[in-house]
Amino acid sequence: MSTSAPETGPPAHDAKPEPENLTLHTQSSTLSAWLYLVCLSWQRQARVRHMVWISLALLALTALAVGVQTLSAGWGLEGRPWRSQGRWMGLTYEQALGETYVATSAIAPLGSPGAAGLDDGLLQSAWAVLQRSDFIRFSNSIFRIFVSFLLPLWSLSFGTEALGGDREGHNLLWLLTRPLPRPAIYLAKFVALLPWALALNLGGFALLCVAAGRPGLQALRLFWPAVLCATLAFGALFHLIGAYFRRPAIIALVYGFFLETILGNMPGYLKRLSISFYTRCMMYDAAGTFGVQPESPSVFLPVSGTTALLVLLGAAAALLLLGMYLFNRTEYVAAE
Amino acid sequence: METANRQQGEAITPPAPPAARKSAICNLQSAIPRPVLLFDRVSKWYGPVLGVNQVTLELRGGITGLVGANGAGKTTLLRLATGQLRPDIGSVSVLGHDAWGQPGKRLVGYCPDVDAFYEEMSGRQFVCAMARLCGYDRAEARRRTEEALALVRMTGRSDRPIGGYSRGMRQRVKMAQALIHDPRLLILDEPLSGIDPVGRQEFVALYRELAARGKCLLVSSHELDELEKLTDHVAVMARGRIAAVGTLTQIRDLLDDQPLSVRMHCDQPRRLAAALMALEDVVGVELGEDGGLVARARNPRKFFQELTALVLEEGHDVRHVETLDDSAEAILGYLLGGRRGS
Repeated sequence: MSTSAPETGPPAHDAKPEPENLTLHTQSSTLSAWLYLVCLSWQRQARVRHMVWISLALLALTALAVGVQTLSAGWGLEGRPWRSQGRWMGLTYEQALGETYVATSAIAPLGSPGAAGLDDGLLQSAWAVLQRSDFIRFSNSIFRIFVSFLLPLWSLSFGTEALGGDREGHNLLWLLTRPLPRPAIYLAKFVALLPWALALNLGGFALLCVAAGRPGLQALRLFWPAVLCATLAFGALFHLIGAYFRRPAIIALVYGFFLETILGNMPGYLKRLSISFYTRCMMYDAAGTFGVQPESPSVFLPVSGTTALLVLLGAAAALLLLGMYLFNRTEYVAAE
Repeated sequence: METANRQQGEAITPPAPPAARKSAICNLQSAIPRPVLLFDRVSKWYGPVLGVNQVTLELRGGITGLVGANGAGKTTLLRLATGQLRPDIGSVSVLGHDAWGQPGKRLVGYCPDVDAFYEEMSGRQFVCAMARLCGYDRAEARRRTEEALALVRMTGRSDRPIGGYSRGMRQRVKMAQALIHDPRLLILDEPLSGIDPVGRQEFVALYRELAARGKCLLVSSHELDELEKLTDHVAVMARGRIAAVGTLTQIRDLLDDQPLSVRMHCDQPRRLAAALMALEDVVGVELGEDGGLVARARNPRKFFQELTALVLEEGHDVRHVETLDDSAEAILGYLLGGRRGS
C-alpha cells in the first residue's frame, strides 16, 4: 500500500519553509552534548539507590570489624596462641619462638658449630616471618573478603545503575531521541560512573587499610593499582550487564557471588575467566617480596603481575567496545 | 505519491535517448521536494508478532493525524520515525536521512506518551538539559528553553520539581523539550491527553502555528474528534497496516464507494435476507451453512442505519454482526464513533 499525505493545515502561502540545514547544525556541537551528558550522568549517579546503600553499609561494617581487630588482638601472630599438632601449647607464637631460641642457645655449645648455625638461621627466619605476619594476615583477609566479595559488589552498585537505572525508569528515551551517536551515549555513561565506582572502591579500600593500621598502609601502597584495574574491568562488565539485561542488578549479583567466587577459586585454568583471579595475581606479584603468596601456588597457577595488568585493562577495553557495539544495535522501548 | 511522481515524470519528459531521459528524470526528481518523513515498505516484528506490516507512508508538511485502536501499530510507527526502533524490512527516513541515525534525529522532535522524566529536576532544568544534550552551549540552551517554555505557557511555573506537576503540566514540558531544537518534523504521541479544555485549545492553536511555520506534524490519538479539530488529514491504522489515508471526506467517500461484506447471525436468516435485499444499498446476500448470512452493501454508513431500523421494526433476533474487511472495520469503527468493529 502506497499512501501519501498532501500538504494540509494552513494554506501554502502562509508556510515559511525552513532550510533543511537547521540552525542546530551550526550552533550545536556533538562534543559539547557528550560532555554535558557525562556531567549530567555523573550528577544523576549521585542519587544513591538500594545497592549503593547496601555497599556503604557493608563498608561501614567491614571497617568496624577491621578496626576492632586492629585495636584488640592486632593483625600479627606474635600474641596469638601457638598451636602444635592442633593443640594449644599454652604459649603465644612470640613466647614459643623465644623459648625455642633460649633452648637452642643453651645446647648450641654442645653440638657442632654447623648445626648451631643452621638452627640460628632457621630461628632468625622464623622471627622475620613473625614480624611480617601482620601484613601477610591482613593481605589474606583482603583476598578473601575484599577481592572476592566487596569489590564486585561495590562495582556493580554503580555499574548496573548507569544505564540500568535509566532503563528501569523509562528515561532512556530522552537520550536515545537526542542527536547523539549511541556508542557515545554508552561511553559517556561509563565515564560518568567511573569517578563514583573508583571513589567507592579505592576510597573504601583505603578506609579498610587505614583501619588496619601499619600493615593496612603497606597493603594500600602495594595493592591500589590492582584495585584500580579491577574497578575498570568490573565497571565495564557491569555497565554492559546494565545495558543488556532487564534486571541488571540481579544478573550482576548472580555473576558476582557465583561465577566470580566459584570460578575464581576453582583449580585449573577455568579461574582465568574471572576478574578477581587477575586482581589477586597483581596483588601477589606486588607483595611477593613480603612473603605474600597463594596458599598453594601449584593449584592457584598465578600469572605474572604484568600479564594480569594487561588482561584486566584489555578486558575493560574489550567489554567497553562490546557494550558500545551492542548498545548501538539494541532497541530500547518502554513498556506500553 | 510515488506513483504520482512517476506519472508526472512520464508526462513532462519528452521521448529522448536513455541517458538524456535518465538525466531529465534526475533533474525532475531534484526539483521535487523530498518528503519530510518517508516510510518505505516498512515491516517490524516483535518476535513472532508483526507490529507494522508493509507500511508505505510519506509526509511532506502540515498536520497529519494518526488514528487506530490499541495494538494497531501507531506507537510502533512513531518509534520507528523517532529512531527508537529499526525496521526489519524497508526504511524510514527524515528528509533523506535514516531515522535511526544521528542526522535524522536532529530533524525530529518527539513528544512521547510515556510519562517518565528526571523527576528531581524542575521543568526548566529538564528542558534546558534536553537543549544541552542537543549540543547547545549554556547561554543558547537557556535562551531556547525560555522560548520553548513560553510557547507551551509554562514560563512562570516551571521552577518546581517535575515530580509535583499535574498531568497537563508534564505534557507541556514534554512538548517544550520536543520543540527545543527547532525540528522540522514533530512526532506527537497522544499530545492532548491529560490537558484541560482550555489547554487543548491553546495546544491546537500552537500546532497550527507550527504547521504554518513549515513544520511537519504527525499526531497520534485515540480520539478522532480531537484530531478533527486539529486537522482534516488522517491516516488510519489497523493491525499494523495503514488502512486509509487522506482527508476524512475522502476516506468516507472511499468507504461509500466500495461494497462492504457484513456477516450476521440471527434466528431467522432467510427472513432477514429477504428484508435486506429490499434495501437499496444491499447488492447481494448469501446464506451460509452455519445458519448465518453475509450481506454485501454499498454506502456502509447508510446501510448500518437502515439495518438498525430494520432489526428494531421487524423484531429480528440478531446475535452477531461483524465486518469481513479489517481496514473497513477499523475505519468504520472510527467514523461511526466507536473504537473498533461495527
